[in-house]
Amino acid sequence: MNKKITSLLFLSLLIFCSASYSLEVIEILGGRANQIAIAVSPFKEFSSQTDTSKVHRVIESDLDRSGLFNTLDTDGVSNPPSNDLNINFTRWSALDAQFIVVGKIDQTVDRIRVSWSLLDVYKEKTVLSMEYAGKPSQFRAIGHKIADQVYERLTGSKGVFHTKIAFVKKINDDKYVLNISDYDGFNVRTIMNSGQPIISPRWSPDGKQIAYVSFEKKKPVIYLQELATGQRTLLANFKGNNSAPAWSPDSKKLAIVLTYNANSQIYIIDSDGGDIKQVMRSRAINTEPAWAPNGKEIYFTSNKSGGPQIYKLNLEDDEVTRITYEGKYNLYPSLSYDGKLLLFLMQDGGKFKVAVQNLLSNQVLKLTNGPYDEAPIFSPNGHMILFSYKDYGKTSKIGTVSVNGLKITPLAVGNEQIQEPTWGPITN
Amino acid sequence: MKKSLLLTVVVATLMAGCSTTELADSQPLNPPFPELASSSADGSVDTSGLGLDELRGDAKLSNRSVYFDFNQYVVKDDFMDSIEAHAAYLKNHPGAKMVINGNADYRGSHEFNLSLGQKRSVAVKEALNTYGADDSQIETVSFGEEYANQECTGAKCGEDRRADIAYEVE
Amino acid sequence: MKIIKFENNYELQANLFSFVIHLTLLIFIMFTVDWKTKAPHFSEVDLWDAVPTQVKKVKQEPVKKKSIVKKKKVAEIKKQKVILQKEAEIKLKKKKAAKKKVLALKKKKEIERMQRKILNQEKISKLQERLLEDEKLENLQEQLREQDLRKKERLALEGERDMEAGVNSGELERFKMLIQQKIHQNVNKQLCGLDDVSLIFEISLMPTGDILGTPKMLKSSKIGTCDEAVERAILQSQPLPMPKDKKLFRKLKGLKLKFSPNAINE
Repeated sequence: MNKKITSLLFLSLLIFCSASYSLEVIEILGGRANQIAIAVSPFKEFSSQTDTSKVHRVIESDLDRSGLFNTLDTDGVSNPPSNDLNINFTRWSALDAQFIVVGKIDQTVDRIRVSWSLLDVYKEKTVLSMEYAGKPSQFRAIGHKIADQVYERLTGSKGVFHTKIAFVKKINDDKYVLNISDYDGFNVRTIMNSGQPIISPRWSPDGKQIAYVSFEKKKPVIYLQELATGQRTLLANFKGNNSAPAWSPDSKKLAIVLTYNANSQIYIIDSDGGDIKQVMRSRAINTEPAWAPNGKEIYFTSNKSGGPQIYKLNLEDDEVTRITYEGKYNLYPSLSYDGKLLLFLMQDGGKFKVAVQNLLSNQVLKLTNGPYDEAPIFSPNGHMILFSYKDYGKTSKIGTVSVNGLKITPLAVGNEQIQEPTWGPITN
Repeated sequence: MKKSLLLTVVVATLMAGCSTTELADSQPLNPPFPELASSSADGSVDTSGLGLDELRGDAKLSNRSVYFDFNQYVVKDDFMDSIEAHAAYLKNHPGAKMVINGNADYRGSHEFNLSLGQKRSVAVKEALNTYGADDSQIETVSFGEEYANQECTGAKCGEDRRADIAYEVE
Repeated sequence: MKIIKFENNYELQANLFSFVIHLTLLIFIMFTVDWKTKAPHFSEVDLWDAVPTQVKKVKQEPVKKKSIVKKKKVAEIKKQKVILQKEAEIKLKKKKAAKKKVLALKKKKEIERMQRKILNQEKISKLQERLLEDEKLENLQEQLREQDLRKKERLALEGERDMEAGVNSGELERFKMLIQQKIHQNVNKQLCGLDDVSLIFEISLMPTGDILGTPKMLKSSKIGTCDEAVERAILQSQPLPMPKDKKLFRKLKGLKLKFSPNAINE
């Protein structure tokens, strides 16, 4: 009798359990390339001067340019909050904001102190709170730092808003300069000038040097220039052409292209100029080497199948594999920092466009529309691409495109021919 | 009321424990940059015995450019006559040194065009070889698209797809 | 952070309380309700007519004797007597004959009656049989009807109940799809890397489509920003499309959401 009761009890419990906890299941497959809606409220300024340094605009532009954020218009916001206390979340929620950044600037003649917070509107809580101080002239750098923190917290990836870029500017047929600037084109300065063309500048992964090809000796030769001192050394001046320098991930070697009176072939040389060895040997053109982040493979362009295509060379066993198959003209390879994406230039319907290929699925995504886009290079976190394009078909300019293809933003660095950009590393 | 008070306390503690990050001094505005070596010629060259009048006078020898089709580096028959003449000149003047500059039009990447120009330069050299010219007298270089017309369209771009023969003495 | 912990405590208490209530109810049901464990017992009824067992007795009227009048009369009376006696004898004989007849008739009747009785009995037994069969049939039909009813009741539990309410199970699927579409639109898969990841969330809803409390994560993608992005997508999708019908809403008020942000969904 006891047994009967217990078994009945158990059974009925089961029935009860299943009856009350059998929830409807809904499966949601995939998702969208959405943007996080964020409102960067104007920072309240407590200053002794009426300074118009808009830190919040720097943060806004940064997040906007990345393509992962939809920055909401906060110009009409009356009486912006100066900290995260007593925030009227309903007001921000009405703007469809998912996150807000608020802050204040305390400014004296030679010093500013910026305290700010990042808040989650749905959860109505503070996510981050920090303070930065510096000279008033550093307000952009502070804005970039804040944007980096927000970016990192919300996307999980390191922010690159504090990084630098370099590019070539052709002032006229007899004047070329190599410039570096903030990643967004502010604070430009020249680090080298020449009467002959400069091409293929490449920032070393350790951030200390820039390699570039100069025609000052009436033929292409490779220089390495140290940024801190301005000192440069001639890395390669062999017979024939010396070009296409590509830094190894540890900054100790470079892959370069030499011709030695024959066709372009790939070599690896130590960054101090020693120990050179040839790694590609064929009748075809082999050029534009680019290291994989694991340091074991080099991607390059070859025309052995007719038009230029991208191949991969395994440095350990010399095996060569073809990587690009779409279209007849694919070149200018480079890898994302995690080795998952290949960035390159493709000719599509007669137009030159920037594209990425997922190296696992081999899916290709076109990021720009051309017609004369060139020289694409990844940001250090792989989320943005810097490239050159022809403005109105004539003047060469540079701009960024987000890796999801959603946002193309030009860089205002001058009205001359701007070309051949390179991106410096993360430094914090 | 209680909620906001709690929040205040939490935030206050956070703020209190929060350190202010000082920004490092930004880099100097005018970093030193390198002196460039002058690009003038090294010194005088003995030009006797080089038959410069021949070089300047002859019709075929004054033909210094070989033109190519898009993405191609095959030397067309039209240019063979001139190449033969240049080969003969080199053979007759062992002291003469030639540089072949390869070029490409602006379309595509700078580096690939550098290689394409190089291919054209080498193609001309190999043609010269078939007529008996020696490699020791020839250097092949490429300028790629660097001196090309960046705004050319259609047939005009063909002018940039060429290899130029130049002699050291000139 | 503290505010959130608070909510968790309430949740725990609520769950415990709910469990206790359920257990109590269960035990209550177990011991107080009269569970019918035996099959209903049908009493069998014997149908018999009340059959007479007695034969009616014929009453005989006593013959009255007349007082003898004087001698003459006596002789006459004797003669008459003799005649009477003879008449009486004849009458008696007649009576006897009649009696015999009656008896014979009676016997005949009795025989007939007996026959009829037998016939009746036969009829009755036949009737009985038929009745029994009819009963059996009825029983069977009754059983089938009950089975059918139980089956219908079962179906009603799963979906037929909706029929009563005027909607069918297609509506449930429709609302599930609407919810799926709305949430899908808000899932920012860019924050989930490139590899295959999956997440599971559980939510409680109000009839307005707003979420009660916060979504509960049952399975993490192991990527912090991905977990946050999916939770944000759920919160962003409020109010979720909810049916007006109460019975249908009850099915949807607790949902288990399974996500695979990097799956191809073409």
